[in-house]
Amino acid sequence: MNEPLPAKQRLALAAAAAAVLVLVATLLAPLSLELQAYARGLAFAVLAGLSIMAVAFLVALPLGALAASGPRAIDWALRFFCDLVGSLPTVFVAAVFWASTSSTPRFVCALGVLRGLEQAWLLRCEIVRLEAEDPESVPRGLGRTPLVAFLRRRMSAALGPLFVSASFSVAWLTALDAAVSQAGLRPPGALPTWGPLLGAPHPSPLPALLAAGSVAWLTVALHAVFRPPSAA
Amino acid sequence: MIAVSVGMFWASASYARRPGNQHPSPFAALPVFFNPRPIGVRELSARALRSIARGGRPAVAAQLSLARLGGAALPYVLPALDSLDPHSRERVALALTPVAVRMEVASAEELADGAQAVLFWTRFWQDRAIDFRAASVRHLTGRLAERSIALRREDLIHVDTFALQALIDDLGQVDTQDDVARVQRLNSVLAQISDLPVSCPPNASVADARRVVDTWRDFWDLHGSEYSALDGPRRLAATFVETQYGKWLAAVLRGGLGRTQTGERALDLVSQGLATTSFLLFVGLGGGFPLGVAWTRFERQRLKFATRVASTIAGTALAAIPCATFVRLFAGPSAGLLSAICLVTITTAAWVSRHLARSTMSQSVSPIAAAFSVSAPLGATYPPFVLSAIVLVELLFRLPGLGRIAARSLASGDVNAWMAASLALASASLLLRHAADLIRPRATQSPSMRRG
Repeated sequence: MNEPLPAKQRLALAAAAAAVLVLVATLLAPLSLELQAYARGLAFAVLAGLSIMAVAFLVALPLGALAASGPRAIDWALRFFCDLVGSLPTVFVAAVFWASTSSTPRFVCALGVLRGLEQAWLLRCEIVRLEAEDPESVPRGLGRTPLVAFLRRRMSAALGPLFVSASFSVAWLTALDAAVSQAGLRPPGALPTWGPLLGAPHPSPLPALLAAGSVAWLTVALHAVFRPPSAA
Repeated sequence: MIAVSVGMFWASASYARRPGNQHPSPFAALPVFFNPRPIGVRELSARALRSIARGGRPAVAAQLSLARLGGAALPYVLPALDSLDPHSRERVALALTPVAVRMEVASAEELADGAQAVLFWTRFWQDRAIDFRAASVRHLTGRLAERSIALRREDLIHVDTFALQALIDDLGQVDTQDDVARVQRLNSVLAQISDLPVSCPPNASVADARRVVDTWRDFWDLHGSEYSALDGPRRLAATFVETQYGKWLAAVLRGGLGRTQTGERALDLVSQGLATTSFLLFVGLGGGFPLGVAWTRFERQRLKFATRVASTIAGTALAAIPCATFVRLFAGPSAGLLSAICLVTITTAAWVSRHLARSTMSQSVSPIAAAFSVSAPLGATYPPFVLSAIVLVELLFRLPGLGRIAARSLASGDVNAWMAASLALASASLLLRHAADLIRPRATQSPSMRRG
């Protein structure tokens, strides 16, 4: 009764969501400068959100698996870095990254690595929890269990929290952008994004509503795409 | 917390290095954490001596530098005069004329001729070298701090900036009118030898005197190394002390977590903001977490597909923080604390419910057990998220919380305020993370034990 949508339908849903947003942006962009800003922000949110997700997965998957089942030093190092980075509200970390990186791609990659560290810890905790709940898995770990078996049995079951976190990437990025703009920490020459639309002292209602609605829409679409079979 | 404070400081220093920064820190010229070549009065005076001896354009700046260093540079400059050729020696001796005038040991007319100036300074050092010792200067300042006698004041003026450190150290704590009188006596000497217009009027109150003391301590923090010889262990210590982080730490150790750009104690600023942020954090979390669990339970019990989809969409959309903008858009900045609490609670509930709904717990496990089970990973990722949400709502609703203080101080380059506010936020974050780790169910064997 709580069956997830098939993979093809999920991808179709995400593609439809993106298509609707692009269509809306294309139609609205010529109308006014504010709507042009919305359209540019949409391009940034989609591209940067996807890049952050990709970088985060690249960082999180090997690091989380190694921290859960590999050498203890990696677990300790991951915990230390997560404690260090997580001790500060992400908005300030993002502001510092944005100010100190000279280009937007580097800023997006830095955010992706930050997100990847968080997700690696989520993955590590989930693998450890699954191992603790499964008495048969006691002697298994990376290096003892064949890698393929580890990836198939443990990793696939432990990806749920990672997917939830990934589905919030666009919302996370836009929220950070809005907060950085609101706090006056945005670099002056930064790319036009949704941050100033949402975080401006007196936001214009229509573009702000469109931007926030688009964030919610993209997040719901990503949430549907990343629905794992185990959540059924 | 030490590692966290290093991280915070690095963040602040990195942000301050951005192009076009309008608010550079007064310590921006120093390295952030390690100073491989700390510079003291010996190095500065030797550099000035060489430039003046060579003559030309750089000598003009060096003359100004030497005049500013004053008496503190004399133990290094005057013994080195003999090593210079006669013309260079005269140039250096003439460059010291403003120092002699300030020390009230000669007039400008008496030292107008180069040869005369060399003769004067040679004799001066023969007669007065013994006065340029730390112990004798400390003795003089100690006695001036106790009682006002004109002769002691003159003796201190005769050693000029060599007495700066002892004078500033003897300013001490200001609590009574006697302390105010001591500050007035020492301040008159300090103002003369440093050429700084700091005044402590005869009718000054305790608060006025405290401000004067703070001004001199700030001056010493900023310029102290320029008047101190960095030798032996002191040079080793200066590799850390003469850094931006070392200066901040020194201000913290003086008490009150240092002072902000407005002169307020950073600790007072944190105390003011702590109540609002703690209230938002604990009420938001206390209300949001159970609400998220209840939400998940509700979603699981709904049989209708449409209800579940609507609940999922609502949860996901609400967890996207920019909806705070909507509330501000319609409610206005006067909406205040209640709106902020509602937002943080709803965001927390939505965030928790999305994680619980998608965690790998089977349907048979209750959401409450699931909530405790996922507390460790949530504890790892949620604090920075909720604190970011709190920063945003504090800014949007103009609430006087730590997040707003931290954001404003980072933007304005107020290092002490930033460090105080961000360390308080970091403490809250670490507390949440470790509390979440404590409440999670334990396995019979720890993962590390199983790993062997």
